[in-house]
Amino acid sequence: MTTATLETPIQAKPAKQKVMLVEGNEAAALGVALARPDMVAVYPITPQSSLVEHVAKLIADGKMDADIVDAEGEHSVLSVLQGGALAGARTYTATCGPGLAFMFEPYFRTSGMRLPIVMSIVTRDGITPQSVWGGHQDAMTVREVGWVQVYCETVQEVLDTTIMAFKIAEHHDVMLPVNICLDGNYLSYGTSRVELPNQEDVDAFMGAKDVNWHVALDPLRPMAVDPLTGGSGGKGPSTFVRYRKGQCKGMQNSLRVIEEIHEEWAQRFGRRFAPLVEEYRLDGADYAIMTLGSMTGAAKDAIDEARDAGRKVGLIKIKTFSPFPIDALLKSFAKIQALGVVDRSVGFRWNCGPMYQETMGVLYRLGRHIPSMSFIGGLAGADITVGHFHRVIEATEKLLSNPAPIEPVWLNEKD
Amino acid sequence: MGMFGGAYNTIAFDANKCDGCGDCMTACATAKTGTVDQSRSRIQIVGSEAEGFELALCRQCADPKCVTVCPAAALTKNYANGVIDWNADKCVDCLLCTVGCAYAGIALDAGTGHVAKCDTCDGAPACVPACPHDALTYVTTSRIYNEVGDWEDLFAPGLAGCQGCNTELLMRHTLRRVGPETVLATPPGCVPGMGSVGFNGTTGTKIPVFHPLLTNTAAMLAGVKRQYKRVGRDVTALAIAGDGGASDVGFQSLSGAAERNEQILFMVVDNEGYMNTGMQRSSCTPYGAWTSTTPIGKGPGNIPSQGKTQDAKNLPLIMVNHRCEYVATASTAYMEDLYDKLDKAIQASKRGFAYLHVYSPCTTGWRFPTDQNMEVARKAVETNFVMLWEYNPTDGLHFTKPVDDPLPVTEYLKAMGRFRHLSPDQISHIQGKVVENLAFVKQMAHREAV
Repeated sequence: MTTATLETPIQAKPAKQKVMLVEGNEAAALGVALARPDMVAVYPITPQSSLVEHVAKLIADGKMDADIVDAEGEHSVLSVLQGGALAGARTYTATCGPGLAFMFEPYFRTSGMRLPIVMSIVTRDGITPQSVWGGHQDAMTVREVGWVQVYCETVQEVLDTTIMAFKIAEHHDVMLPVNICLDGNYLSYGTSRVELPNQEDVDAFMGAKDVNWHVALDPLRPMAVDPLTGGSGGKGPSTFVRYRKGQCKGMQNSLRVIEEIHEEWAQRFGRRFAPLVEEYRLDGADYAIMTLGSMTGAAKDAIDEARDAGRKVGLIKIKTFSPFPIDALLKSFAKIQALGVVDRSVGFRWNCGPMYQETMGVLYRLGRHIPSMSFIGGLAGADITVGHFHRVIEATEKLLSNPAPIEPVWLNEKD
Repeated sequence: MGMFGGAYNTIAFDANKCDGCGDCMTACATAKTGTVDQSRSRIQIVGSEAEGFELALCRQCADPKCVTVCPAAALTKNYANGVIDWNADKCVDCLLCTVGCAYAGIALDAGTGHVAKCDTCDGAPACVPACPHDALTYVTTSRIYNEVGDWEDLFAPGLAGCQGCNTELLMRHTLRRVGPETVLATPPGCVPGMGSVGFNGTTGTKIPVFHPLLTNTAAMLAGVKRQYKRVGRDVTALAIAGDGGASDVGFQSLSGAAERNEQILFMVVDNEGYMNTGMQRSSCTPYGAWTSTTPIGKGPGNIPSQGKTQDAKNLPLIMVNHRCEYVATASTAYMEDLYDKLDKAIQASKRGFAYLHVYSPCTTGWRFPTDQNMEVARKAVETNFVMLWEYNPTDGLHFTKPVDDPLPVTEYLKAMGRFRHLSPDQISHIQGKVVENLAFVKQMAHREAV
């Protein structure tokens, strides 16, 4: 597991944390409330709806002091928050699937304006065929737009990561919007025991709000926000190019910042999550399977059973998908001889899972050939069971002695 | 106060109403000389019924020639009230001023042996009420010029608008009025296109300004306003948007913000198309108009292509149906009316959604000479092609510049090239729609007033 160390260890002991039984959407809402945003904008869409319903109720009950905007669609939801952030507000929303697609125009622009907006994606498969169920297709489709995207495995991780996301987004070396991706159905409605951090401890963790120091719409410091750049005349493309380069730098900086903030979280609250990449029973493994999100729970059970049966298999889970954690993955890949990658969405251009497609680029940098293959499962809310993962493990093991298949394996094709 | 002082009043003359009775001259002579000798009156009506009557009267010029030619400094421009004052103690009776004046506004008074001229009777001219036909009126001129001239122009000089651009005029007036405690949204179109948000690191505006998307102006602005409200700061949230973005692709966010009664002043500059990006058709483009996407041609199957085939969407009426705090239409040809509405809209935006729809002729896209801007804007109103009205939920809708005896719509259409190709059938369709639209708004005015 990749970890970072803080120069000054956190001495404070967290107050006793309240134990609750909540679904993932409620856990996200509780995390949002603890992070104290000024403004939330909401619009319902399955399976995200109960998340914003919980937020609305927290505000209605006076447990959260934020301006709530019931906007007329996701496009305006994100646009309202852009305006709020430019005026200095800490902002939050949540969406998924078609809502995210409708939001795309301002979504693209949020990272360009370097606005630290936090948004949960309660992941949902893409239509059409019509479906209201979970799948990573929505978040995967927008992975190349400059948002930081982290995927959670458990309900507790949803709660904790939601709070951390604000601090990551507002870090001066980052200043980028952050998506917390939680699996529709499995995490959104999955009810689990969680420990709720104490508000004072979260306040101490968060520090001062610092949203629009770099770009603002404020009569006290007037500036033009987003003037025209580029073109072949005048100053030419220099402004635009330097700006884009800065965005890419912010993305790369976020890898370090995510590690630091996860470490600080662990020290303050006693819960340690792998910030970028988690290795599970990888030491001593000849080969590994790779997962993302809530499927990892079943995958870990399958790994345990396979190890008990003498198979030398381990697991690599990605938490931070954007930016892609290349260096952390290279360290993990250095330990293995074959790799099977399980995606919960498809990459139409490469006829494989998108995470697999990204991984192939990292494998190229490894400098030695590792056979690998793509598995696609869990589409449209389908369950990826321990049984499915045993198929994944067996197929991946064969890569040690047989040529890797080009075609992906479709796990739920005959379920 | 500007170089030429404050708001000036002057005596206006309508020759069409004058029958040459001379009552005004009698009144002036009585007031100024204590006689009824019309020859001693400072106002002189000259001419005949056959050739028409003309006015010989001091115009209280801004650049007075009488003052320039006076060798004794006996004539001076009073910057407080605009009147040209004559000082008897300094006058040397040379009469050069009577030669200098082109209006015969200063002349020798035989009764005193000195020149005499109108002093507007200290703001209550005796001649005006004496006229039995209302041919004389005492009116305020240059109020807006003088008042606005003292407010800071919050756009930088050198905006890259087309020559004669009505939108630039409107923008500069609007921002002067709204003032510096404002955040300005200018979605893609002519407003930022002329450089309001700047190019490559420079800004065209002296207040916070931004490019929203074409689609999300009202939503972004709502977010800005809400945060300032939350922290207790009084900041005006102003949008100056084109008709295309507002009525087409940006309509959802506009409607949503209006429904939520966001505290925004949303001004639409309606030049009836996507003029900045090449004069394409919008839903606000009127029937029959040429645009670059409704061009003129012989058409497929011998059915000629004759401009837009649908009528314009009436966006301000749609906004009335949102029951906004304030909705009004306006025109730069009627600046007093526009300023009145702007003031009301600013106030309304502190309570909720205010919408101002300004009809804004486009010299480039409508194809008329640049010096015809105001004339085109005025003809649109005089023909009832556009109607100037205002609405608020308490008082309903009413006309602010009712035109009861409109000119035929052809007087408007012929002023520009975009309607040059119209067939008689198309013209009659447009005239019919003018009548129908007027009847509809009148019905609405009646209903809303009840």
